[in-house]
Amino acid sequence: MTLVKEAPVRPAGKRSAAPAAGRRGRRRENLAGYLFMSPWIAGFLLLTAGPMIASLYYAFTRYNLFTPPEWVGFDNFTTMFQDPRWQKSVEVTLKYVVVATPLKLLLALGVALLLAQKRRGQGLYRAAFYMPSLIGASVSVGFVWRALFSDDAIVDRTQKIFGLDVGGWIGNPDYVLYSLVALSIWQFGAPMVIFLAGLKQVPRELYEAAEVDGAGPLRRFWNIALPVISPVLFFNVLLESIHAFQVFGSAYVVSDSRCGPADATLVYTCYLYQKGFKEAQMGFASAMAWTLVIAVALVTAVLFWSQKKWVHYEEAAK
Amino acid sequence: MRTSRNVERRTILKVAGASAATLGLAATTGCGGDSGSGDGTVTLRYAWWGGEPRTIAIKKTIALFEKKYPKIKIKPEFTDYEAFWEKFQTQASGGNPPDVFQNAVGFLRKYDKRGVLMDLKTQADAGNLSLENFRNGVLANGQVDGKQIGIPVGANTLALVIDVKAFEKAGVEAKMGWTWDEYFDALQTIQDKLKIAGDTGYFSIMYLYDLYLRQNGKAFFTDTDLGFTQDDLTQWWEDGYKRVRSGLVADPKKVEQVKPKSALSAGLAASEFTWDNFSIRYEGEGESDYGLAPIPTTDGKQTGQYLGSLMLSAFSGTKHPKEVAQFIDFMVHDPEVGKIMGYDRGILATTEQYDAFTPTDDNNKGVKAYEEEVAKAGVLGKITPHPSGADVIEAAFLRIGGEVAQGKTKPADAAKALFSEAKAAFAG
Repeated sequence: MTLVKEAPVRPAGKRSAAPAAGRRGRRRENLAGYLFMSPWIAGFLLLTAGPMIASLYYAFTRYNLFTPPEWVGFDNFTTMFQDPRWQKSVEVTLKYVVVATPLKLLLALGVALLLAQKRRGQGLYRAAFYMPSLIGASVSVGFVWRALFSDDAIVDRTQKIFGLDVGGWIGNPDYVLYSLVALSIWQFGAPMVIFLAGLKQVPRELYEAAEVDGAGPLRRFWNIALPVISPVLFFNVLLESIHAFQVFGSAYVVSDSRCGPADATLVYTCYLYQKGFKEAQMGFASAMAWTLVIAVALVTAVLFWSQKKWVHYEEAAK
Repeated sequence: MRTSRNVERRTILKVAGASAATLGLAATTGCGGDSGSGDGTVTLRYAWWGGEPRTIAIKKTIALFEKKYPKIKIKPEFTDYEAFWEKFQTQASGGNPPDVFQNAVGFLRKYDKRGVLMDLKTQADAGNLSLENFRNGVLANGQVDGKQIGIPVGANTLALVIDVKAFEKAGVEAKMGWTWDEYFDALQTIQDKLKIAGDTGYFSIMYLYDLYLRQNGKAFFTDTDLGFTQDDLTQWWEDGYKRVRSGLVADPKKVEQVKPKSALSAGLAASEFTWDNFSIRYEGEGESDYGLAPIPTTDGKQTGQYLGSLMLSAFSGTKHPKEVAQFIDFMVHDPEVGKIMGYDRGILATTEQYDAFTPTDDNNKGVKAYEEEVAKAGVLGKITPHPSGADVIEAAFLRIGGEVAQGKTKPADAAKALFSEAKAAFAG
């Protein structure tokens, strides 16, 4: 810091005259840039990179937070793969990802299609549909959800009208996960906004030309809108799947911190949390965290590979 | 243009430098943070778990203490039970646990093994804390390997809390020395006459299973291991599941959804095994009247009961061991504190506090009468501090028992799972 402060400041005219001085000026400019970035860099190193490297090390140790970590090689990973609760958590998470992500995106796309048309009060509708995304992650919404889906609450009573007597989803291991799915779908605002932006990019001429050729709305959507917004769709699929893999807050709150009943909402991160902070097995928890990182990276890689088959970029069309 | 940009940048840099310097300054003052101050006042952190009434009462006792010891300030920290131990674990591993904190028998060995707990005997020898006048030998609850690492503030026993109105309506009487068969017959009568379940789910309560084992000459824990076999547990859970199916035990799906309320106070069942001081909580929560009934027995005599207790422990690395000892001494011996706390944490542990508090409401009176009756019956056994990992096993027992109740795990598989998780917990 003192270095920068004490650096002599040259008159601007002189600096532009000599190329060497220009280089120095650029260097100083860079330095200033780095200086401004330094809080972020320091934060990244201290709060993100540091802990990540530490956790990579802990993944190969037995570490209970109190006694120094003891190197155990791949033990945590082998125990993990054999652990029935870990297997259960993988199963629950995959089920959640596979059910919640497509449903959420379908709804987001559907509503985006409706809101893309010009009509009165459009801004209001957009804001209203986006709202749940802003508050959805909060703990209080988790509690509201718990209340909505409990025995004899509004969902249960509504179901009974249709002759479905489940007796509340929260206490039922077969249904409780779907209450989390519903919570996820309810927050479709963020992907919806992105879809809206994508739909705005669809050239009007294409629609008009298709209309002249006698294409109905469904055909126009399928053959024109969908290919044009496919990059946006790809982006949303990617982002939402990654999000879904990391679901935690809703599972933790809706099922009263135990991620149950009968481990029915034991999503991956919830088990990771229990292992780390309730059972003090930080080594095991770190191994779980890195396995998740690798799994998500793999899923991302597969999605990127698959996009060649179904995502149309404009350059490719030319 | 270029000049002005330059000036701007310099100004900004200066500002940035100045604010960085201020930050640095703040950091140095922050680092030196000590709980002592110039005039000799020390600050102690005191942490506990529990509901709102407990917090209100404890804050009153703190005010009383600070009045008597103006040089000691107390900084309270409180949460619910689950959050308390998660937070405590992280704080303790970072070398920064509270100076004084509420503790229980399941955590003594665990944190003793990790060097977190102060041996308060040394402070007692130094005259800062009295270990006299504890009732019914309850002081032993805080002892591990000859060290006094917990000082009991209250004593309680596991009991059967009953919905008095429901029991009366069904014409069922809970009497001392009744057997398990008689208890389950009573549940049947309640179901037949009132069309509700009799019990909230006895078979996933670790402490009750402990009593059952004690009645049969075993115990849940030995010093280092589980004190029963996989077959024992399979049998216990098979019977339990049978009774869920037949409706004698409340539907676990419903029990789950009334939480954090208890299934008893929510009216889902007519009785629940839990610590006797919980009956006070249920009175506030539910709409019926709640009373205490004896634990069923195997032989008509031994209930397997013992006095459990909540304790105060101190951090071994506290900078103010003397003040910590004075604070604990005040909290367990001062009669005024006893009057304020009542039986919230169980029957008051010292004679000074026990004599000072006279319960006036039916519920506290009931707890007192129950404790006296149990003590008089001479059924109380001795409790040994649980091995390290007991807290994790208790949570696993509750969870796996829940899976059995929901029909998601077969009792034999469940027992196997518990044993495997216990093994990992003991090793942790």
